[in-house]
Amino acid sequence: MRIGILCSRVRVEEKWLFQSLQERGAQPEWVQDEAVVFGLPTVLEQYDGILIRSLSHSRALYASQLLTAGGIPTVNAPDVIATCGDKLITSLALVRHGVPTPPVRVAFSPEAALAAIEELGYPVVLKPLNGSWGRLQAKINDRDAAEAILEHKQTLGGYTHSIFYIQEYIPKPGRDIRSFVVGGETVAAIYRTSSHWITNTARGAQASNCPITPEIDHISRAAAEAVGGGVVAVDILEAPDGRLLVSEVNHTPEFRNSVAPTGVDIPGRIADYVLEVAMKSER
Amino acid sequence: MDFDRLDEEKLFLYFHANGLAQKYGVIWSRVISHTRALYLLSVLNGWGLRTVNDYPTVLTCGDKVLTTQALARHGLPTPRTAVAFGVEAALEAIEEIGYPVVLKPAVGSWGRLLSRVNDRETAEAVLAHKVALGGPGHSVFYIQEYVPKPGRDVRVLVVGDEVVYAIYRRSVHWITNTARGAESALCPLTPDIVTLALSAARAVGGGILAVDLLEDADGRLLVSEVNHTPEFRGAMQVVDADIAGKMADYVIQLAAGNICRAAAG
Repeated sequence: MRIGILCSRVRVEEKWLFQSLQERGAQPEWVQDEAVVFGLPTVLEQYDGILIRSLSHSRALYASQLLTAGGIPTVNAPDVIATCGDKLITSLALVRHGVPTPPVRVAFSPEAALAAIEELGYPVVLKPLNGSWGRLQAKINDRDAAEAILEHKQTLGGYTHSIFYIQEYIPKPGRDIRSFVVGGETVAAIYRTSSHWITNTARGAQASNCPITPEIDHISRAAAEAVGGGVVAVDILEAPDGRLLVSEVNHTPEFRNSVAPTGVDIPGRIADYVLEVAMKSER
Repeated sequence: MDFDRLDEEKLFLYFHANGLAQKYGVIWSRVISHTRALYLLSVLNGWGLRTVNDYPTVLTCGDKVLTTQALARHGLPTPRTAVAFGVEAALEAIEEIGYPVVLKPAVGSWGRLLSRVNDRETAEAVLAHKVALGGPGHSVFYIQEYVPKPGRDVRVLVVGDEVVYAIYRRSVHWITNTARGAESALCPLTPDIVTLALSAARAVGGGILAVDLLEDADGRLLVSEVNHTPEFRGAMQVVDADIAGKMADYVIQLAAGNICRAAAG
């Protein structure tokens, strides 16, 4: 099995994925996303499948579409990347599948956004439609903050910032849960604990093992299924009443901080899944 | 007095002096864009042509960092203000000054992108958005103590060595800008207002200027900004003086060489 790993840079995650694929008798190769020239469609015939690990959402999205059109299976599939890469489309998929999520409002102008914020009540969280690591997520505690952030977002422009995605702030207990779902199975979960309201390990949150309860397993698999399956990380918030709510689903999860605390061979599980997908569609 | 109306969009200027330099006794800039005004005046003054206002004054007033620096250098009272060049340093300054603070772009008018920051989470979010905005203006953080003004500020029009009027700008919003719906009302000219406004105008180089004053909780006056191309539509409703006439008189006197502009020191 020849598996291409598409990314700009081989980080810890990709190194582990290489090793895991090699251990399983596959021949992984790095496909540098900045060096590839794609045809319409793209037929990289030497590969049985491509694992997409590009950090850039747009590269991941278009590469998966170009490759899939050429008959090369990708992990993740284009639909999964398209859905997870846009928080609004993710919310829609979750709602359509009955997966509990925090209340969300969407507005197209600062005026409408302000009305929506005041209707939801402070605090709320404003999020760019795409982006990772909690970048430019803003917790809005009062009207002064709402006015300031909305004006800055409008000035920033672009569809990412001029579609206002407003989420009710869930007062989580100093942590959230990130679960990893691979091929329909919840393989691991961590707590991300932080004194900051943005509980992202890239921003200093501490990872610790989170036992996979039936509730966590259920909501994780439901969220993954809602966005189209594959390899995803599901961000889950614990509401004060104990309910679990899915806030985001990530299509190219980082897991360097999750292997040690959970003891789960996450890259191995991903490698198994990639080989399964490649096998199934063998030409 | 003969005059021409020049549209800056239709002009091009050679850097070396030419016929235009002799044609006009003075050029009065009412260019709205700060950047255009600044560059236009730099060339005109470079030819030796008199302008209202002159380049150094517009340079100073168009940038809040330079304005506050000029005011501080002249010992004039301003809100407590800091400038920072990194996000972490900006956060430190904000916490040291204490909430609420106001973050202002160094360059900009009509209250655009002014942020009142009441807590750390807002500070982090506003700073992150400023960094994302990019550009030189947004990696320089201008941080000012919020002055709990009594629902109004005072705008004073200075023309040369004279205060023409002062108005209150009243608003329920903390940004008391007539372009944003603040109401104008006549403000009696007190000796304090006159002295401070004239000193502020002198500190930035003088000319036709609008000085914005804040009244703090103790009734003390603080200079917040000085504007180099004042709008006075709002003031015309409440002020008896012939505002445009006063400005025109000054410009004509300057053209005639009857006014000697003291360089700001």
